[in-house]
Amino acid sequence: MRWPGIIVLSVLAASPPASAHHSPVMFDQTRTVTLAGTVRQFQWTNPHCYIQLVVEQDGQQVEWNLEMGAPVYLANRGWRPSTLRAGDRARITVNPLRSGANGGLVLDVVSLDGKPIGRQR
Amino acid sequence: MTARLTSFALAALAVVGSSQAQAQDLAAWNGVWFTEQGAGTQISGFLASDDTHRTTQLPLVDLNAPWTNEARARFQERLAQAAISKSEGWGYPMMMMTLTPLEFVVTPEQVLILTIYRDVRAVHTDGRELSAPEDRWVTEWGESVGHWEGDTLVIETVAVRQPNLFFRAPPFSEAARYTERLRMVGPDRIEGEMTIEDPEALTRPWTVKQAYVRAEGLDHLVYDTFSNDRTTLEDGLFAILPPSEDD
Repeated sequence: MRWPGIIVLSVLAASPPASAHHSPVMFDQTRTVTLAGTVRQFQWTNPHCYIQLVVEQDGQQVEWNLEMGAPVYLANRGWRPSTLRAGDRARITVNPLRSGANGGLVLDVVSLDGKPIGRQR
Repeated sequence: MTARLTSFALAALAVVGSSQAQAQDLAAWNGVWFTEQGAGTQISGFLASDDTHRTTQLPLVDLNAPWTNEARARFQERLAQAAISKSEGWGYPMMMMTLTPLEFVVTPEQVLILTIYRDVRAVHTDGRELSAPEDRWVTEWGESVGHWEGDTLVIETVAVRQPNLFFRAPPFSEAARYTERLRMVGPDRIEGEMTIEDPEALTRPWTVKQAYVRAEGLDHLVYDTFSNDRTTLEDGLFAILPPSEDD
């Protein structure tokens, strides 16, 4: 595997835009990647929330920039600013950036033992 | 005399009862509402449905409306740029038919309709008329007056600045006139329709329907700045900037 801790999953249906901020074209919605790592920062901000996730790749600590929707969408799904804290371990499924940089759009967040974090649906 | 007093008293009671009922009905509108199609928005900020449905999610983004040839060409040009464009918000009429939530604040004198982008529509329901055409203050949200017909809010809107804030907004002109009818059909559902008359952009009036459902997890919106925009453009594609050191 190219990146330890990273699993490339199956094709996922692409999503129409809910956010008014930009189109989803920046993300490869035909691919999902699952990252297991440690949260360095959770930003509860407009126009997007972000998770900074540190993942071990080839023996190196690599930080991913992970985008989410605006806080209003997270709040409506039961998330709060304290739902993720620095130091939390999480497994996060994303649509990766088309550019190949270490970033993506967050689809799902669970603890390392598979328990849901927040109430996503 | 007694009979006249009795009937007067009964009439007065009926008026009081009616205004109390209306006050209760108006309060029921307060709160956060999603468009029916936006209620499934995930933590990604996007819907989890097939991308082929994208164009049907925003009823006003419709190339099949009765556009004039010139308006359709402008709309096509705008849509072609959409993939690499950012929005500054919605503006009107897009804010009424998006996938983001609305908040209604209803009083007897006016109805405020708000979005997280701090779009604000003030719909005056105190009986006033629209300003004289030469005195209209053209804005992205227009000028609106409304009145209640039972459980239906009827709104007339003019003086909407174009082009709108959203990157897929349709090319209505500033001469457009919008008539909305919003009716609460149940405690958690409002059904509406908007008829647009635009002598410059449309060949005939166009009516669009939109239903709203009450938000599941929110009873009010929180209005914040949009200062943490980490999306950037690199070689024609968006990328995500790292957080600033101050965060």
